[in-house]
Parts: sequence; structure tokens; C-alpha cells
Amino acid sequence: MEQKDLIESIEKNFKYKKEIKVIDGKQFIVTVEKDKVLNILSFLKLIDFKQLALITAVDWIDEKKFEIVYVLFSYSHIQQVLVKTFVERDNPQVETVKNLWDVASMYERDVHEFFGIDFVGNDDLRPLILHNWKDLPPLRKDFDSLKYSNKMFGKFKKDEEL
Amino acid sequence: MTEILTFLGKEDQYEKYELFFGPNHPGMHGNFSYILTVEGHTIKKVDPDPGLLHRGFEKLAERRKWMQNIALIPRICVPEPDINEVIYSIAVEKLMGIEVPIRAQYIRTIILEMARLGAFLFGFGGIGGATGLYTASYWTNADRDYLLDLFEWLSGARVYHMFIVPGGVRRDLPSGWIEKLSETVDYLQKRLYEYDRLIYNNPLIVKRLKGIGKLTKEEAIEYGITGPNLRATGVKYDTRKMVPYAAYNKIDFEIPIQSEGDGLARAIQRREEFQLSLDIIRKAIKDLPDGPVRLKMPNPLKFNVPKGEVYVKIESARGEHAYYIVSNGKDKPYRMAVRGGSYTAGLVLAQKILVGMRIEDVALWMATMDICPPDFDR
Repeated sequence: MEQKDLIESIEKNFKYKKEIKVIDGKQFIVTVEKDKVLNILSFLKLIDFKQLALITAVDWIDEKKFEIVYVLFSYSHIQQVLVKTFVERDNPQVETVKNLWDVASMYERDVHEFFGIDFVGNDDLRPLILHNWKDLPPLRKDFDSLKYSNKMFGKFKKDEEL
Repeated sequence: MTEILTFLGKEDQYEKYELFFGPNHPGMHGNFSYILTVEGHTIKKVDPDPGLLHRGFEKLAERRKWMQNIALIPRICVPEPDINEVIYSIAVEKLMGIEVPIRAQYIRTIILEMARLGAFLFGFGGIGGATGLYTASYWTNADRDYLLDLFEWLSGARVYHMFIVPGGVRRDLPSGWIEKLSETVDYLQKRLYEYDRLIYNNPLIVKRLKGIGKLTKEEAIEYGITGPNLRATGVKYDTRKMVPYAAYNKIDFEIPIQSEGDGLARAIQRREEFQLSLDIIRKAIKDLPDGPVRLKMPNPLKFNVPKGEVYVKIESARGEHAYYIVSNGKDKPYRMAVRGGSYTAGLVLAQKILVGMRIEDVALWMATMDICPPDFDR
């Protein structure tokens, strides 16, 4: 299917509130409410968006929101779709999609570690990459890497102080 | 951490034990570890343990200006660094809505294919190393050096070139470089037949690779396997052909595929793609147009990229390497997420497919899948 038909099909079959934006001929964005993520993803998987390429997040600290992005690709339509949703920064929770794709579990573990977002239903959110991390999740915008470095490894001394 | 090695103490278990496969294991590719639960020789459970190589690129990139990041991002992927520069540049160009000169597109294509050849040579050597055929890794590493010499001539650096920038490439090709490249391509073509005799027609390797980690089409797509590993299962998809970037839409080529989806098919697929890369370089040299190689861009330390987001992927030697870049209109990227080509294969598929294999198959499976730890620890 062409991009136009795909968007039409989503418009027609996915009844909940959504916003569709085209990036270019091979890529478009669908933004949905956070409790409808599972619906839209399972619908997209049904219309042959079989590959889950990435789950990631963006910290919009000024709007007090996290944006979660699911990147899907279809080998038959040759289209990339970015499914986005927003969660509250104070209580970042979203339903897991690990039942749709096995790989989702690892991406969610990654995002949980780096943003502190909870994926409800995913029971394997153990630390993955950071060892013995006790600070704020590091990819949040309010995490200050210089302050952390000074705290952990001592302040950087200028040449004359040494 | 104290609980890990306590099977013996806790359960009075003598057959089952835990084996730390890496980071100091000779069969491990880089700084990464699988914690294997093993009974006798057979693997029962796999727990990947990345993080030993984590350098926080995604965070670092947020603190640097758009142009400064060019010096940082090639370091994400060690065997094939140029893909990062290209993705990043394409992303910035897409967000800014600029079109790169055609000669620069061709030069990018040549550089990408050279990097691909280098990565494949590393991969061939890996298969040799994991089967005890060390000659293969000596030969391939020595041949890779000829490519690095060319990169050194071109950019001054052997591994991290920082040659591709938003708006084109840093400078035009030096005189005589193309001729030298043609010579190297011819040399590698000759060597490929030697590799056939040494590796691909070697009964020992063929027998050893056959049936290792067999995947079907559906499984491969489900697990996000991309690139040569996906094509080895029979899916005829190549980002270079289907969603072209650089000058790939102007170069005509056929996508090779295999059908078995096992270790041997993956190895042969890589051999075929090595041939394909040589062909693409030849065609690109033949068609290389004249013209400017770099657009006039704003002051590198003062340019802002318009608001927006884009997901850019390209075909690396390990599969789909991609960036998701968000700009909020300022002088630094707001967010840069990296998708490594072997992320899902090494972290998720490994947990499923290695179960039931023997310990000595792990290194070989990793070599045929081209698992690269920098993909996990961006």
C-alpha cells in the first residue's frame, strides 16, 4: 500500500483520538493517547508493520512530559511509522508491548533505565547497562552530568591548583 | 553480585554451573558478556550483560553543538564508523531541508562501501578465529589495512575519519586517489577468490557453520534482525535499494539473497555482499560526476537546525543502523537515539537461540551474526 492509503486506513479503522503527520514519502508519525498505544500497535502489526525497530523516549522537561516513540517498519509497504505518545513526567507509566514483540522487552528495559519510565506488565526491568547506578536516570534533562562527575570522581583541578 | 556463583552452595548442584562468557573470553567480540547457565556442555539459559563499553553518547551529543558532534559520533561503532557520520549528516540535512551536491553523494557512497568492505573483512576474520583457522583473520586484517591506507590519504585518520559533514563531504578527493582505489578494489577482488579457497570452500568451515542458529523469515522479522542476516533467510530487502540515500538510487545493483538462514548461509551472504560492494564501488567510480562537494553552510559553531524529528536508517554491515534525532530549533540536538544494527540479535535473540547449543558454538554464532557490543552500549 502507498503511504496515502495506509494513512486513510488508519484514519478509517482506528477510531480513537489521533494525530497523523507526514515526515516524507517513506515516513509518518501517528500520535495517540497513552492508553491506546497497545491498540494502535496491534492494529499496525495487523496491517503488516512487522518489525519493531526501536523504542525510545524524549524528555520534554518544560512541558513536564515524556514522549515515548515506537518505530515500526513494514517490509511489504516499505514504510516507516513512528508511533508517539506522551506520559506525565511525575508519574511516567505506560503499558508494556512485550506481548506483541519479544524485542520490546529489552527496549523497555533500556528506556526504563535511562528515563525511569515504568512499563506496566513488564516484570523484567532489571538494570541493563549502568552498574550500581544510584542517581537520577541519566538521560533525563535534569540530570547534570558535570555535577555527577564532580560528586563521583572529585572536582576537576586546574593546573595551578595541582 | 554475591548470589551469582552459588548453585553449588545453594542447591547442591554439580552438573549445572554458570559460565561468564566474556568480557575476557577469547571468543568474545569486544567488551561484552553473556552469563551462561550450562549443564555439561549444553547451554540452558543466557543472560546478556552489556554495559562494559557504555560511553553515554546519547547524553554527550545533547551537550555539543550540531557540528561538534561530528567528532563524537563516529566513535559509536568501531569497525564501521562512517555510517554514523552519514546518518547524522542526512538527518541534519533532512531537518534543514537542504540538498547535497551530486558529487558529494557519490563520494559518500564510495566511502560507505569502503567502510562496509572493511567491516566484512573483520567479519570473515571473526569466522576464522572462532573455528581455529587463524590464517583467515591474519589475511583479512592485513587486507583491511589497504583500505585504511586509503582513508588515511583521504582524511588524515585511519579509523575515525570525520570526513562526511552536513552539507557534503569535507573536501574533494586528492588527485590519484581514485586510481589507487581502483587498484585496491582489483586487489581485493583477487583476494576474494583466495578467501573462497581458504574459507568458503573449506570443508571444515562448511561443516562447522551448517545449521548454526537457523532462523526463518518470520522469526528474523519478528526479532528485528536486519541486513545480511535477514537476507540470508530469504527476505529480499536492502535499505540501499528500497529507501535509497546517498547515490544508491543512481547505481544499479541486484540484491543477493540466500534461503537457508543458518550460519553457513549468513557467511555466504556476507561473501556475496562483499562482491556487491566491490561492484558498487566500481560503478560509482565510473559514474563519478564533477562539481562541488560541499554546500555553503552557516558558521559551524553558530548554526541552528529547525524544529522537527526524523528517523534515518542506513544499511550497515550489521544491518539497520539508525538514529532518531529531535531538534527543538536550538544549536544542539535535543535528543539523539541510536539503534545499533545487532542490538536485538545480541540481546534478545541470543536468549532464545543459544539455548541448546554447545559452549563452543557461542563464539561462532556471534561471528556469523556479526554481533557488535558498541551497538548495545551507545
